[in-house]
Amino acid sequence: MIPVCAVDDLPVGEAVRVEAEVPIAVFNADGVLYAIDDTCTHQDASLADGWLEGCVVECPLHASCFDLRTGQPTGPPAKKPVRTHEVEVREGVVYVRPSMSAVA
Amino acid sequence: MTLPASLLATLPGDHYTDPGIFGLEQSRIFESHWIAAARSADLPTPGVFRTVHIGRESILLVRGRDNGLRAFFNVCRHRGAKLCVAEAGEVRRNLQCLYHAWTYGLDGKLVAAPNLTKMPDIDRVEYGLVGVHLREWLGYAWVCLADEPPSFEDTVMGAATTRLGDPELINRWEMDELAVGRRITYDVKANWKLIVENFMECYHCATIHPELTDVLPEFADGYAAQYYVGHGAEFASEVRGFTIDGSEGFAKLAQLTQDQDRRYYAVTVNPQVFINLVPDHVIFHRMYPMAPDRTIVECDWLYSKEVVAAGKDVTHSVELFHRVNEQDFEACERCQPAMSSRVYARGGVLVPTEHHIAAFHEWVTSRIS
Repeated sequence: MIPVCAVDDLPVGEAVRVEAEVPIAVFNADGVLYAIDDTCTHQDASLADGWLEGCVVECPLHASCFDLRTGQPTGPPAKKPVRTHEVEVREGVVYVRPSMSAVA
Repeated sequence: MTLPASLLATLPGDHYTDPGIFGLEQSRIFESHWIAAARSADLPTPGVFRTVHIGRESILLVRGRDNGLRAFFNVCRHRGAKLCVAEAGEVRRNLQCLYHAWTYGLDGKLVAAPNLTKMPDIDRVEYGLVGVHLREWLGYAWVCLADEPPSFEDTVMGAATTRLGDPELINRWEMDELAVGRRITYDVKANWKLIVENFMECYHCATIHPELTDVLPEFADGYAAQYYVGHGAEFASEVRGFTIDGSEGFAKLAQLTQDQDRRYYAVTVNPQVFINLVPDHVIFHRMYPMAPDRTIVECDWLYSKEVVAAGKDVTHSVELFHRVNEQDFEACERCQPAMSSRVYARGGVLVPTEHHIAAFHEWVTSRIS
């Protein structure tokens, strides 16, 4: 597990980028935490800098959308999914467990 | 050459034609002073933007998510592409360059760029859009491109105080509460200074403004409102309103007193704003010099929100000053070609009712010399 930040430092609507082996973005979508690969599969951009609406993040560069629950692209131009990762909160700290699956 | 005591010299002809002088005016006047760039209400919601030509620069005004209005140089920090090409529009999320997709927040901060995460040494504020000073007053967004702007209070507000003789008087029109009833843009083939000079004097009024002098008979004497301090030109006794035919206008604006009723006041804010104050509306001119011999003039007719919301017919009201504008701009366009005539090389002359224009000439000269 990789420590991310204090849960209080990730308010609703915000995201944080974690420098793991492959960078991961952790989102607070209306109180539920989700983690996906931070890098858009269309072009190198940080999804943590994107727009969060419901359970969908929109890439700031070309507006590709990804479902935080599945990692699936829900709006073009991205065609490939991002990986999802397990998130946990312990004693007020957010942790992610990087998924072992291959990078999509 | 000595002039008779009745006359003062104008600027020489080349001040109205020379690209070098015009360039100095652009940099030392229009890019250094406060310029009315947009009506604040034209940028009502976050993401709505306007681009405005100020001096030699394109300036981008945009309302942020915090509802604050901001102004930036309309230039991508990456390779210099013009960021927003349209004169007006709305972005959904961010301001994005069409070239390499450098993406800026509505606060100007660099939000994203391809491979930006691999360049962690790029500071997102340092490489954000370059901001321009902005103040809101009278319902307009005024910008100043100078690094250190002159005092807004002394220069812009001060111009109204100097003319009206009372810093509080202009607030009685509550211009930030008024709505645009009509906007007309004029493309005038004349140097911007000819337009300022024309607005400052009324020596021409009896000759080219028959409708205006019918409403304001004292204008036939040739003394403009700018000749005095705190003087409003009185309406003719038979005139009911500031309209093309003297017919009834709208109700007097709420905070005006009997002292301001049935009077016309005019203020010039150097270098590019004229404010005309009458009891039921305000006519607000903004000038944007495009070339030595070409100036865009945007003119707003401002009425109470009630008048505009009710869709009341403003035609008679607008027509009076629209006609004045056309008459004035035609006169300015008539002067422009002669500015390069050899007989105008040393300029012309100002008669006593125009002598106050010399102060404007000194203002210009002291800035560009």
